Amino acid sequence: MFRSRSWFGGGLWKPKNPHSLEHLKYLYNVLSKNHTVSENNRGLLVETLRSIAEILIWGDQNDSSVFDFFLEKNMLSFFLRIMKQKCGSYVCVQLLQTLNILFENIRNETSLYYLLSNNHVNSIIVHKFDFSDEEVMAYYISFLKTLSLKLNAHTIHFFYNEVNEHTNDFPLYTEAIKFFKHSEGMVRIAVRTLTLNVYRVEDASMLGFIRDRTAAPYFSNLVWFIGNHIIELDTCVRNDADHQSQNRLSDLVAEHLDHLHYLNDILCLDIPDLNKVLTEHLLHKLLVPLYVYSLMKQKNVLCQNQDEKKHVSVVVALFLLSQVFLILSHGPLVRTLAAIILKSDLDIIRDGASKVLEEYAEISSNKAIAFAPPKESLEKSLENLSESQADLKESCEGQSQNDELPVNTLTKKQRERGMNEPGTSFDTTILDAPPENLSNPDQLEITIPNETVEEMKHLNVTDEEKEQRLALESPLAPQQLPNDPIQESLTNKPFLQTILNSLYCNENDYTALFGLCLLYALASNKSVNAEMLDLVLSPSQQVPTKNWYNETLVDRLIHIITLSCQTNAKVRLVTLELTIKLLTRLVMSEGRSLLHDTHLASIEAAKEQSTALLRNFYKSEDIFLDMFEDEYSEIQKRPLNVEWLMMDSNILLPPTGTPMTGIEFSKRLPCGEVERARRAIRVFFLIRRLSLTLNMEVETQLPLTNPATCIEVNNVLDLSKSYLLSSCLTGFIWGAKERRATRIYDGKYNSDLIACTVVWKDGQKIRRFLVIDVLQLILVEPDTKKLGWGVAKLVGFLQDIEVAGDKDDSRCLHLTIHKPLSSSASNRVPLLSAKFIFDDHIRCMAAKQRLTKGRIKARQKKMSQIARLLDIPTSMPHCSTPPNYAFMSMRPERATGRGHKKDQPRPMFTVNKVPGFAAQLRQDGVVRSSSGSTTPNGRRSDGSPNGRARENGLRSRDNSPKMPRPRSEEIPMEDMRLRKASLAANGSGLPSIVCSDRKDSTVSGTSSNGELALAIKKRSEETSFTSPQVQDLKPRRKGQVETV
Amino acid sequence: MSYAYLFKYIIIGDTGVGKSCLLLQFTDKRFQPVHDLTIGVEFGARMITIDGKQIKLQIWDTAGQEAFRSITRSYYRGAAGALLVYDITRRETFNHLTTWLEDARQHSNSNMVIMLIGNKSDLDSRREVRREEGEAFAREHGLVFMETSAKTAANVEEAFINTAKEIYEKIQEGVFDINNEANGIKIGPQHSPTSPGGLAGNGGQGGAQGGGCC
Ligand SMILES: Nc1nc2c(ncn2[C@@H]2O[C@H](COP(=O)(O)OP(=O)(O)OP(=O)(O)O)[C@@H](O)[C@H]2O)c(=O)[nH]1
Ligand SMILES: [Mg+2]
Repeated sequence: MFRSRSWFGGGLWKPKNPHSLEHLKYLYNVLSKNHTVSENNRGLLVETLRSIAEILIWGDQNDSSVFDFFLEKNMLSFFLRIMKQKCGSYVCVQLLQTLNILFENIRNETSLYYLLSNNHVNSIIVHKFDFSDEEVMAYYISFLKTLSLKLNAHTIHFFYNEVNEHTNDFPLYTEAIKFFKHSEGMVRIAVRTLTLNVYRVEDASMLGFIRDRTAAPYFSNLVWFIGNHIIELDTCVRNDADHQSQNRLSDLVAEHLDHLHYLNDILCLDIPDLNKVLTEHLLHKLLVPLYVYSLMKQKNVLCQNQDEKKHVSVVVALFLLSQVFLILSHGPLVRTLAAIILKSDLDIIRDGASKVLEEYAEISSNKAIAFAPPKESLEKSLENLSESQADLKESCEGQSQNDELPVNTLTKKQRERGMNEPGTSFDTTILDAPPENLSNPDQLEITIPNETVEEMKHLNVTDEEKEQRLALESPLAPQQLPNDPIQESLTNKPFLQTILNSLYCNENDYTALFGLCLLYALASNKSVNAEMLDLVLSPSQQVPTKNWYNETLVDRLIHIITLSCQTNAKVRLVTLELTIKLLTRLVMSEGRSLLHDTHLASIEAAKEQSTALLRNFYKSEDIFLDMFEDEYSEIQKRPLNVEWLMMDSNILLPPTGTPMTGIEFSKRLPCGEVERARRAIRVFFLIRRLSLTLNMEVETQLPLTNPATCIEVNNVLDLSKSYLLSSCLTGFIWGAKERRATRIYDGKYNSDLIACTVVWKDGQKIRRFLVIDVLQLILVEPDTKKLGWGVAKLVGFLQDIEVAGDKDDSRCLHLTIHKPLSSSASNRVPLLSAKFIFDDHIRCMAAKQRLTKGRIKARQKKMSQIARLLDIPTSMPHCSTPPNYAFMSMRPERATGRGHKKDQPRPMFTVNKVPGFAAQLRQDGVVRSSSGSTTPNGRRSDGSPNGRARENGLRSRDNSPKMPRPRSEEIPMEDMRLRKASLAANGSGLPSIVCSDRKDSTVSGTSSNGELALAIKKRSEETSFTSPQVQDLKPRRKGQVETV
Repeated sequence: MSYAYLFKYIIIGDTGVGKSCLLLQFTDKRFQPVHDLTIGVEFGARMITIDGKQIKLQIWDTAGQEAFRSITRSYYRGAAGALLVYDITRRETFNHLTTWLEDARQHSNSNMVIMLIGNKSDLDSRREVRREEGEAFAREHGLVFMETSAKTAANVEEAFINTAKEIYEKIQEGVFDINNEANGIKIGPQHSPTSPGGLAGNGGQGGAQGGGCC
């Protein structure tokens, strides 16, 4: 690896062992003889420096004499000397990398001290490299970062030089921060890392230097940099109504978040002096003038000159402030900011912007409030740093006085000083003059837009609902109790006003979402104290106002909820969820709801309305169940995370309905019928949950499948209690003593047990028992140790299965168990896709029948659960009703198969009460053999005349000549399916759910016939089929369907 | 040296898995382990050639900054590729992969190519994580997988270069917005953004020429 370079070495003796003192001495000689870098020797020099680094690292752990020699010969000076020779980026880069390697791999503190002594490293740091070369820049900044990782209470003294007051400097830090806004992101990150590594070294003297000499210039430049970013972001939002620059916007938002996290990381180091300076800069130069003032509708109150006006749109301001309160936690900063937002009234603001901060700041200062460029660039400030001592005194003065004096005595003095300060900004001076065109504060009064009230009156609802709606209106009506001090005071607080007014969703919920976010962020910020929020946001803890809540705010929240229950509502799901989250926070106190009856009634009305809305979809969507469960699990699994929401730049663009933007479903309006159904489902869930919470009730009906009653993999089951559908259990000697049709599991109905061999795609074969329970299909392995018991090896939901016969082998079934859509597995690989071989054809058919039936029944059960949730009458035993149901009992398998089930609710089929409602019963025929994926072919055949197969299937399946013809108002299933397919074609959201019908006629035909056969036989004895029938069924081929 | 593209990588994974060693092994093969000494570095760049084009890889190691949230989140965002490394001799480093991956997915741009690396394959006798487990994890999460040794250099080249190839393919497919440097991809100085790859010369000095555009 170390190739001989003896022709360069000039007759030097080169030792064999590359890791030895001798070798280092040899290398020293090489360096000594090559003082000047030239084309010819630069390769050798670079190689030599590398070898030196390698020996040093070796010496660090093996031989201390190496370092002694290194120090004695002052070898680091060679590095410096080479660097200074303008030898081009290649050599510089190699040098820097060698230093990196050296510093990173040295472990002994003493070795490190050796390297750092003599101040050579500082000389290298201040060396003016060619930073326009991106490679040099990258290696240089990495070098500085590496050094910063070596900082501690001891090593700091090698970098920070405090010996002499005049020369006191800290090049590692001051050189690095010059690159704080470098165009290359990784460089900026390295600078931030370095600064944080510096700050966390607990060295008072060094921190004093940072605060006194560098904090003001660095922070003011940083704040200006951030502010300009914001303006760019705002421009981006303004100019992008059509979602064209999503990428750029997302970068800008992410960048802003980076800034906030960086500021927070600094503040969290909890260095009082530093935090004070930083907080002051942030408040005076960024957060108040740029963010908060942008909330002011009358911007001219704050500044007259349109050209100089620096502000962002209300949407952006609300968004950014939400981020601030979600991320920053430094008490003095967030409390001050919260106070300004929530408490400032027009008088204070009119008095002059600087008063705002004086009024509320925990830290006072003489800084003007303005978003204005720093007086000079950071480089300039830092250059001056070392030159003028006088400057230092001046800049420290204000600081030290502040330290000594209590805040309140300072206020007046500061005010004077603030005013006298020569024109640092346009804002202060202008603001102190009373603005002429300040509009009448009355205009700010909270009013409800009339349209909304009207709109609500004319909703097409039942009388009862109307009544509730009226109850809802009254609190919304503009007339407030005149002597309510809180309401009154709201009118005079422009910032708060803007936030509250943003909650109206007149045209859409664009600003409302941000208003909600900000309120939520304020309420959840741990450092904003309760008293501050008391009268605005939280249930009050103080005695006189205990149990009080902000009615105005709650009115508006409820209004959003009400709006979202309407057809074609312009409220996005995310807005609704956040509204509910905030509302719950406002009115729930100690687990109890403080909501007044009128408000509560409005919520209940909204719940009714959302239920009514969903009922419309219940009757029209075949895939309703899958969607219903999917949405439920979605809502459970991904509760709204406001912090994440605020990272999504997409919400900054006006709400859209098109999925083409790639915007998440909950963050846009629904597109197409399927999405409208999904939305209605979610609205229903959200409001239902809110209602339950407010009423202090627990959910008992959702999810539809109670996981607690489900069998899980590895559960041990008592199989002796299952119905054995196998006469020959050779090979499985486990107590199948009697064929008792009892229970497999507590609280469960009996299940059938069928022996089979499962053949996986990869050829793996396993003998199992197939258990078909009420909702589940279970593959059981008998427990070898415990007779009559078995272990569940695989569990799937019957509703998700797809069964198909095998055209070549009548003992085989192809079974696919799809993962529930709600399982969110990233890959849509089925839970199981395997061939099942049964002992004979009869058992195979029995299994098929049970599976198919199980699927239907499982689905029916759930559909009726949903019906109950939606107050749709069902055929529950207790309801004495319609003649439609009569025919149910005709179905032989129902009547006979499990005769003992008298106590069980009869199969619940959804009623065809609603016009246009498709009878579930007839859906059976379709559903039984459908599910899973779809092919265009499959769909086409459904609608085509070839659908004859299904007709046959349908007719034969039930073997029921008495089966009524569809009543006129029922939409024939085929039509439904067609319709669904067309929906699927234009509704994009749900391809995998929508198209869940693959069918080929063979399957349908076979299955139907098989079932017929079974059904007939079942009356007597399930396991005693006779062979002729079996043969009858065998020779079926694709496309050939016989009518029975 | 000029290049057609510059790809920024990050290396992530628990401490001690060998990130810095992998980085140095790739960028600077001259540092060979001697006396059981594997050395590392936290930044490095190297030129490679893909499809006849000079591509510069810039690799940024994030080690030691986990304490600062601001730093980790911005690192992720600025990278086009990530090597997610665990140590095959320490199971816990494998167990933490999910957390790393979640972080990466949350903060990075969605096109970032992530390669899973089981490092220290030279220490087979002390292996705690089977190769198949690594493969399965990678399959499940859609990552490319490789076992490497920073010590013997086994597969180190491949790991970095395959990642680059995948990024390169994504560029060809138009998945990456290469005009947006925040994605961790930069177009070489002589490249016009409108015709990516169009100007690269062929062979040896590839990217260096092509300036004398017609
Ligand atoms: N045997 C063997 N040891 C290795 C290998 N890679 C790294 N090591 C050793 O593992 C240890 C840690 O390696 P590093 O590269 O410093 O690990 P890292 O991931 O950068 O750790 P942090 O910087 O703390 O996050 C060192 O002692 C290396 O010598 C390898 O492939 N094989
Ligand atoms: Mg490292």
